[in-house]
Amino acid sequence: MNLAFQLAYKNLMGAGLRTWLNVGVLSFSFIIIIFYNGLIDGWNEQAKRDSIAWEYGYGQLLNSEYDPFDPFTILDGHGTLKEEQRKNLTPILIRQASVYPDGRMLSVALKGVDVNQSTLELPIQALKESTTAIPAMIGENMANAAKLKEGDEVLLRWRDKGGTFDAANITIVKVFDTDVPTVDNGQIWIPIQKLWDMTGLQNHATLFVANEQFQATNIPGWKFQSQEELLSDLTDIIAMKKVSGSIMYLLLLAIALLAIFDTQVLSVFRRQKEIGTYIALGMTRSQVVGLFTVEGSMYSLLAMVVGSIVGIPLFTYLAKTGIAFPAASQDIGIALADRIYPVFGIQLVLTTILLVVVAATIVSFLPAKKISKMNPVLALKGKLQ
Amino acid sequence: MNKESVIIIENVTKRFPVGEGEFTALKNINLQFKRGEFTGLVGPSGSGKTTLLNIIGSLDSPTEGKAIVLGKNISDLSHQESALLRNKHIGFIFQVYNLLPVYTVFENVEFALLLQDYSKEERKKMVMEALEWVGLAGMADKKPDKLSGGEGQRVAIARAMVKRPEIVIADEPSANLDAANTHAILKTMKQLNEELGTTFLFSTHDEKVMGYLERIIHLRDGAVEEDEIIEANIINR
Repeated sequence: MNLAFQLAYKNLMGAGLRTWLNVGVLSFSFIIIIFYNGLIDGWNEQAKRDSIAWEYGYGQLLNSEYDPFDPFTILDGHGTLKEEQRKNLTPILIRQASVYPDGRMLSVALKGVDVNQSTLELPIQALKESTTAIPAMIGENMANAAKLKEGDEVLLRWRDKGGTFDAANITIVKVFDTDVPTVDNGQIWIPIQKLWDMTGLQNHATLFVANEQFQATNIPGWKFQSQEELLSDLTDIIAMKKVSGSIMYLLLLAIALLAIFDTQVLSVFRRQKEIGTYIALGMTRSQVVGLFTVEGSMYSLLAMVVGSIVGIPLFTYLAKTGIAFPAASQDIGIALADRIYPVFGIQLVLTTILLVVVAATIVSFLPAKKISKMNPVLALKGKLQ
Repeated sequence: MNKESVIIIENVTKRFPVGEGEFTALKNINLQFKRGEFTGLVGPSGSGKTTLLNIIGSLDSPTEGKAIVLGKNISDLSHQESALLRNKHIGFIFQVYNLLPVYTVFENVEFALLLQDYSKEERKKMVMEALEWVGLAGMADKKPDKLSGGEGQRVAIARAMVKRPEIVIADEPSANLDAANTHAILKTMKQLNEELGTTFLFSTHDEKVMGYLERIIHLRDGAVEEDEIIEANIINR
């Protein structure tokens, strides 16, 4: 095998431009595959990290009447917990409401959050320090949609626990920047104590966000969703994105492999005399098949080297500086930062290498196996068709 | 001196399929070649010279009859066994040299040894010795495309001889050479034949080559027409 590698290396180097064209296309595939997957992995990590920091914490204890995907459950999906049960939990009360910026009506989810909590990254300091009657904070997307800015007052209408409409002006004390659209789009955050007063739902919460110390126990009327369960939708979306994106790089890889296949078919035909000479000099046919197969798979090894020379500095740079995403792409409904930092893990690199080397070896072997049926006399004469 | 037969050809017939029929390239050939012979198969194109050499070189096998080379019946050998026979015991010299273009002269000659268990030092010593036999020690680093025809054929001789085979098969070795180069390579081969006792088998219709042969077997239409011993060329070893 060592001999096959030595000879294959010499043959490839001797082939000159043809080798480097194949290596070039294949190394480009290497870089694109690793880049794309690294980008998705980076997005995945960022989305999970931000979703945990801004929304999920270490899990959520949801009122069993409340379904996050059904807004009609907001009305009745709330309840209270005993003092000892609330340990390590941050209450969030959600109510449906409307705001009227510039005379327009916008339906919103009005969310009360404990201004003393430290589980979520919400910038509650602004709510805590405000002296206005009803301080509120909103995300940038919401601010853009409602055309609101810090310091603006806007009319809010809500219903209390008896179903009676009430209304008051709220003051936007903070417009925060977040990558998590589910704490931003169509949401207004106010201190939960205010919301309790406004609705008469003292100590009620729609859900509780757990911190790291929380130990899940079975509490009647409540259901606990772990961090993994909460993140599963996000993980599924990203996995789907990865699969759809893989079509693009598999096409690229297919082109590169086709180039190797084509080269190998041509080699077996064009190098008949050389094959005959190898056999005449004492190589077995399987050794010659092995040599041609190794030659083909060596394209992938050379591509790995070339890809490393180009890819390592490029990926290191991208992992440090990140890749900016246009503002328009923030509205896709899942956590997407302004700048994604790709993650190029060792597993990704090794998997890609394995994929490309195995694929290149297979497409090299297919034409090379024809050699095993070659008549060496005809091969020496170059008369095979 | 009574020498053993290294090649025994018994009633060998070789047929090739041609279209719907068959072409008989060799017809019931019976020959024996003794160790150290310097023999040529002579005849016009299509007379069966190359076919017979290919069978002796275990690149092909007879349709009928037996070809026994160094005690081994060619028809009974597996691919691996015939490769081993060629690798260890038979050297080939081709009409168009068949040098591997991406390798240097040294690497071309070394190739046959790479398939055997020689150390790097041993290989280097043997290759340089073979290149000295053919007078190309100073060209070890050159690629085949930088060599003249005569030099290329001398590299091919060195490649065939480097493993010290018992038999060397040379198929029209002078076909692409001028007279001076033909005489040069024949002298080299004759010298190696004398010094190492290697059996040389040629196919040729070159008068200059025939001038060096100790035995000339005339083939015509796949049959032996005449088996002639050239006493004047025989050297007592």
